[in-house]
Amino acid sequence: MKPSTVKIKNMPSRFKHQVPKYKVTRSNDCINCGTCAKTCPYGVHERPEGHNRVNPPIDYKCIGFECQSKEFCCIAQCPRQALSLSLNPMYETLGDPRWTADMITGTWIMAETGYPPERTDLEYNVGNSGGGFDKLRFKFPANPPEVDKSEISTAIELNRRNDGRAPVVISTPVYGGGMSFGSVSLPTMVSKAHNAAIWNTFTCTGEGGYPDILKPYDDHVITQVATGLFGVREETIQRVKIVEFKYAQGAKPGLGGHLLGEKNTESVAKMREAVKGTSLFSPFPFHSVYSIEDHKKHIDWIKEMNPIALVSVKVSTPNDVDMVAVGSYYAGAHIIHIDGGYGGTGAAPDIAKKNIAMPIEYAIVKVHNFLKAEGARDVVTLIASGGIRTAHDLAKAICLGADGAVIGTAELVSLECVRCGNCESGRGCARGIASTDSELADLFTEEWATQRLTNMYHAWNYQLVEILQKFGMKSVKELVGRTDLLEHIDYSK
Amino acid sequence: MPKKYHIHPKVTPLEMEYLYKFKITRGENCINCGKCTKVCIYEAHKRRKDDPRKMADPNTVVCRNCFRCIQECPRGALEKSLQQDYVNISGSYWKADMFLTLWKQAEDGKVPVTGAGYRGPFTGAGFDSMWTDMSEIVRPTRDGIHGREYISTGVELGRKHNHLAFDAEGRLLTQPHPTVDIPIPILFDIPPVELSPNVMLALIKAASQISTCVILPAADIKPELETYSTNIIPFITEGEIDKYADILKNARLVAIDYTDALPDKLAAIKERIKNISNAVTIIRVPAISGIEGIVSKLVNSGAEVIHIVADYRGLEINQDKEANFKPRLMKDIIRSIHLKLVEERIRDEITLIFSGGMAMAEHVPKSMLCGGDLTAIDIPLLIALGARLYEEPEKLLLLPDGLEKISVDIITQRIVNLMCAWHSQLLEVMGAMGIREARRLRGETGRAIFFEEIDQETFGKLFKQ
Repeated sequence: MKPSTVKIKNMPSRFKHQVPKYKVTRSNDCINCGTCAKTCPYGVHERPEGHNRVNPPIDYKCIGFECQSKEFCCIAQCPRQALSLSLNPMYETLGDPRWTADMITGTWIMAETGYPPERTDLEYNVGNSGGGFDKLRFKFPANPPEVDKSEISTAIELNRRNDGRAPVVISTPVYGGGMSFGSVSLPTMVSKAHNAAIWNTFTCTGEGGYPDILKPYDDHVITQVATGLFGVREETIQRVKIVEFKYAQGAKPGLGGHLLGEKNTESVAKMREAVKGTSLFSPFPFHSVYSIEDHKKHIDWIKEMNPIALVSVKVSTPNDVDMVAVGSYYAGAHIIHIDGGYGGTGAAPDIAKKNIAMPIEYAIVKVHNFLKAEGARDVVTLIASGGIRTAHDLAKAICLGADGAVIGTAELVSLECVRCGNCESGRGCARGIASTDSELADLFTEEWATQRLTNMYHAWNYQLVEILQKFGMKSVKELVGRTDLLEHIDYSK
Repeated sequence: MPKKYHIHPKVTPLEMEYLYKFKITRGENCINCGKCTKVCIYEAHKRRKDDPRKMADPNTVVCRNCFRCIQECPRGALEKSLQQDYVNISGSYWKADMFLTLWKQAEDGKVPVTGAGYRGPFTGAGFDSMWTDMSEIVRPTRDGIHGREYISTGVELGRKHNHLAFDAEGRLLTQPHPTVDIPIPILFDIPPVELSPNVMLALIKAASQISTCVILPAADIKPELETYSTNIIPFITEGEIDKYADILKNARLVAIDYTDALPDKLAAIKERIKNISNAVTIIRVPAISGIEGIVSKLVNSGAEVIHIVADYRGLEINQDKEANFKPRLMKDIIRSIHLKLVEERIRDEITLIFSGGMAMAEHVPKSMLCGGDLTAIDIPLLIALGARLYEEPEKLLLLPDGLEKISVDIITQRIVNLMCAWHSQLLEVMGAMGIREARRLRGETGRAIFFEEIDQETFGKLFKQ
């Protein structure tokens, strides 16, 4: 169930045109009769008042081949057969096997409308990567117990230790991943936090410090303690309900971060409590942690400083991720956050993104089973991230054994990221999402971004509820570890 | 403290047009309003110099696919598609993106870094079906960014003793075999096409600058190259030892073509080489069916270094032209040979070089994890210089026109840059694993994650009926 603070409102793209999937071609046989402009209800064809000629077709508004079964379809209506329809070659330049063009387009529609696309020509739930989530399908029962949607809860507890610390419950089993001050624009960062408050969930500061502008959302912010310890102060630890130790990031496991001197501007330096213009290193690993015992000392330190905060431990997915998770549990963590090898980043070596550490799909199963065998599964919260692209990925991750998920890229795509991957080059993100360039960071308002995020979270929640209903479940908690509800298109024959 | 090994990159553009990914076309309904010039931060759109009232053709080479011009053009007059050349050059193994990244690494010598997560397929064939491990908390080295310099990527080529022998008084009887040290686990293999003299010289100079070696047919080694003799590995047949005695004299390594009769004659051949030179012998064998047996036999006959060569896509070679030949991939060939030698307890005695289809930096550590000691590369060195490779309808490797006129220094630097980028990427992988010495990568399959194993272990167990 969504919190009462969630209000859906249509929030269209900030650009004049969308990326078209189809191409409508008008040949020289056209006599500019204007029939197409009259018949098309989607506005592909326009003949402005008083003009003799019909404008070139607006491809992105076309719903594609499914229109051909409709009476009003321009191709059939054109008296001269001057119109034809094909796939637009431009569509091939959008997306990639993991985030397909359909998936990006689908996410844009969700962010605009608050609901999954009504169009039937978009495969927005699974990607084209040929493995992991993209090979898993749900096995819905033929006659599930009848459950009304209003009875279904998507809330999960994040503190399962019963240790007197904050009884944090989030209303939807998703929260926003860490993106540091400087790596994303301020409207991006603030809108993420604002949306987290609206959805009664969380966002994370990343390791670049904790700007004061996030103060109104303190109860929905996770502050990160990463290896560089940038901007970490007693005061920031005391402001929040969850503190996250970042050991590693899925996109670049085992590698340190490096903020170039020129990117360390006055405001960034102030936030990070560093000297402006110097290169800042986040080493790998924590140079004060050699063992789980050292790790425990860190957790104890946080717990001492903030008597109510929960501690989350973010690790990537090496072979022994299960051991690390159990170790973190014994060290006192409330949340084990595993970030798979195909996770997002603002900048990482390509060789690391592709090759180092395992995809999240395997790690969830490994960690879930290991914690179960250890008898610890019920007292920790297992959060998965790194390749959770859609509501279906989320539900599949939960079936594999996670309690919930952290997302990053999906949030940015809601803000019209095209995944061009140039977040860090030159002036930064050309679309203003991940840039601090004075001009580029001003391309959208916080209000627009917040609503887009709220809409996207709503569409996900809507789909999750639908899935639970099809399984006849009343709570997302019933879904955890239910691998029997999934099938794999290679193995389950 | 080991000596630090550095490769020095220098930005070195090659003044020629290479492959690029996108094509933007401006439709006739453009009204020359100039909105695209304002929104494109990469300067793909400019007004015409001769007539500023009009827009120039888009300069798509610089396009980074941000879609802003497409989405903000008031008339929707701009269209984008994949460049035909980009689409055509991708084969079953050599993908268009590989050409682009190698070309860029040759230009700046840097580790390719981008934003957003990995965008490729979940898994693939061969090396794409494995991931390398990393070490989360406990690390054998406390290497931050600075400590990287102490990660050694050096390897030793030569034969090793299985055990030491002592006499009755406990004195060591074993004499160590001669070995050759190379600071990077990459050799330059025999060039796959004929090279112009400037490129040939640059290849040798680059090998020398990074302290590795290039394997060249002895017939191509001109007397004036003598200064580089420590960086050249002459490749000969066993019958040519005396013919090329002058070249062999100063070589550190010599490569000999394999024949079926070779194992039985190996002792005699080594003796003949020893009379001329101190060079350690490499035996070059094609990766054919039954290669495990050949390698094993060679090790037992006293071979020092064996170089196994697959085809340019890293596939097993169909020597007998079998009709339904299903070639194995390099990853599996290496694992199989390594495992056989381990089972026979002779793996430690021999150095194994693998080549064929080594296309990306990650193939170096991955081939070592599978069981190789080092790799040899050929085609990437030419892609650094603008070569194009088409797999269909048959293999076609094209060097760019005019390459023969480019200065040796520029070509040398581009090859050095590429190796600098590869070396840095090797350090990234080793650093993440917490491994300080490249030689410890060899056969460390426990520090790798193989798709077929983990998928079976996870999903196979859960979903197989």
